[in-house]
Amino acid sequence: MYTAPLRALIDELGRLPGVGPKSAQRMAFHLLRVPTEDALRLADAIVAVKERTTLCTRCFNVAEGGGMCAVCSDERRDVTVTCVVEDPRDIVAVERTGQFKGRYHVLQGALNPLEGVGPEQLRVKELLQRVDEEGTEEVILCTNPNLEWEATAMYLAKLLTPFGFRVTKLASGLPVGGDLEYADELTLGRALEGRRELDA
Amino acid sequence: MVDFRSLRSVCLEPDPAGTTVLTGANGTGKTTLLEAVGYAATLRSFRGGTREAMVRAGADRALVRATLEREGRPALIEAELVANGRSRAQLNRQPVRSRHQLARVVAVTVFSPVDLALVQGGPSGRRELLDEALVAVDPTAGELLDRVDRVLRQRAALLRQAGGRVGPDVLHTLEVWDDRLAAGGETLATGRQGLAGRLGPLVGEAYRALAAGRDLEGVTLAYQRSWEGPLLDALRAARRDDLRRAVTTVGPHRDDLVLGFDGRDARTQASQGQQRCLALSLRLAVHRLVAAETGTAPLLLLDDVFSELDPDRSRALVCSLPPGQALLTTAVPLPEGMEVARVVPVASLTTAPATAGHDERLSAPAPRPEGVP
Repeated sequence: MYTAPLRALIDELGRLPGVGPKSAQRMAFHLLRVPTEDALRLADAIVAVKERTTLCTRCFNVAEGGGMCAVCSDERRDVTVTCVVEDPRDIVAVERTGQFKGRYHVLQGALNPLEGVGPEQLRVKELLQRVDEEGTEEVILCTNPNLEWEATAMYLAKLLTPFGFRVTKLASGLPVGGDLEYADELTLGRALEGRRELDA
Repeated sequence: MVDFRSLRSVCLEPDPAGTTVLTGANGTGKTTLLEAVGYAATLRSFRGGTREAMVRAGADRALVRATLEREGRPALIEAELVANGRSRAQLNRQPVRSRHQLARVVAVTVFSPVDLALVQGGPSGRRELLDEALVAVDPTAGELLDRVDRVLRQRAALLRQAGGRVGPDVLHTLEVWDDRLAAGGETLATGRQGLAGRLGPLVGEAYRALAAGRDLEGVTLAYQRSWEGPLLDALRAARRDDLRRAVTTVGPHRDDLVLGFDGRDARTQASQGQQRCLALSLRLAVHRLVAAETGTAPLLLLDDVFSELDPDRSRALVCSLPPGQALLTTAVPLPEGMEVARVVPVASLTTAPATAGHDERLSAPAPRPEGVP
C-alpha cells in the first residue's frame, strides 16, 4: 500500500507517545508534502537532541555537551536548598513557578518493585553524596501525589534525616482558580488534612 | 444493551419503584439481562464471567447504557466491554476512573444462587461483601481499597525480587512498603470491623425472618484479623517468613468474617438450607445497612432465588423483601402474596429492533465544566 520509506516513517511516528496509527499517517503525509528544508530541520533537531544532550554531571537534569545543566551552572542559585524530583519534566514545571531558587536533583524514577525499580535504579547514592558535600540545609521532596512517590519520599526521608537538615515535602491541595464544588473528594480531603492556621 | 452475550439489542424499562419480574423459559436470557444491569452498576459480572465472555460471539464490543434517577437528578451510565482491549465506562459522558466511583452513584444488591459460596467458600467472598458495603457507605473507602491492593502488589513484587535474601537495601525498602501497608491495613480492618458490628444485628434479624419459625439459633458475625497488636509489628515479626515464601502472610487481605450459629462454624457445621438462608440474610442486611446509612435503597437484583428455597422460606423471603426498585428473574411460579409492579416476558424484548436514538457506541465526552483543570 505504501512505499517502503513512507511505511517506515509511519511506523516510527506511530511509536511516539500519544500518537496512534491515524495521526502517524497524517504526520507522515504532511512531511512528504512540506519543503525539503523544513523536513530536514526536524531531522536535524532529532539528531542534535540525541548527539549533543547528556545528563548533568551534578543533578542528572538534561544538559548540553557533557557538562552541567543550566540550573547547576547558574552561580546565583542557592546551594543550600535541593529539590528532589522524579524526572527532568518536573524541573520545567517547578521552574515555571519562578518561586524556587535552589538546585535540583533528578532521581530518574520512583520506587516501583512491580516495574523492577529499586533504590539501585535511582540516583539515590548520588543524592546522599551531594547533600553531604554541598552544605545542604534543606531537601524538598517534590513528590507526585501517588503511592510510589510517597513510598520513595519516605525512603529518602529515612536516609536523609540522620544528616540533620530539614526534609520537607510539597503540600497537597486545591488548584488555584478552581472551584470547591468541582474538586474531587480525595483532593479536598487531602486539602482538609493539610489545612493551615490563618494569620489575621 | 447491545451485543451483550446473546442479546443483540435490547431495551428494558423496569418499574421505577416496584418489582419488575422477568419471565421466560430457561436459556432465554433472563439472567443475562440482570447481569448486564449489574455490570453497568459495578463493572463486574455477578456470575463471575470474563469480559470476553460477555461480548456476543462475532461482535468486537458490547455496550450497556443505563439511565437512572438519583436524588431527583438524572444520571447516564455507559459501559463498553471490548473483547480484545480495554473496557471503558462513562458517567454522564465523563470517563469513570474506578468502579468505586460508580458505586457511589448507584448501589446494587444482588441475590443469586452463587451466593451460597459466601457461606461455604473461602474468606475472599466475605471480605468482598464487606468491602462493597464499605464503599457504598464511606466515600473514602474506594481509594483506600485501591491503595491497599497496590501496596500489596508492590510488596509482593519486592519479596519475589529479593529471592529470600535480606540485604540492607531490601530491608530499607521493605520498611517503607510495610509502613504504607500498616497505615492502610489498620484503617481498612477498623472500617470492616465497625461495619461487621453494625451488620450483626441486621443479619440476625433477617435470618430469623427467613427461617420462618425454624432453626431459631443466634447468628454470630465476627471480624477476624490475621494479626494481633499493631500491624506494623506483625509485619516485622512475619518478615522472615514473608521473605522465604515471597508472600505477605499478615494483613487485611488475609482477614475473614467468621459466620456462626450459636458458636458453631456456619461454614462446616450447618445444613445447606441454613447456609442458603444465611447467605440471603447477609445480602439483605447489607442492603438495609446501605439504605439506612446513605438514605437511598440500592437496586435489588434477584436472580432465580425461589428455585433454591422451599415454599415456606420463599414466602418468608417475599415478606421480608425491602421496598424499592427490584428486578427479579424466575423460572418457577412466584410465591403467593408477592407484589409485582410489572411483568416482562424476556422473549418480547429480544425480538425488538434497535431502539431509535440509541447508537451502538459510547457518547462523545461532554465538555468539562469550567473551573476544572
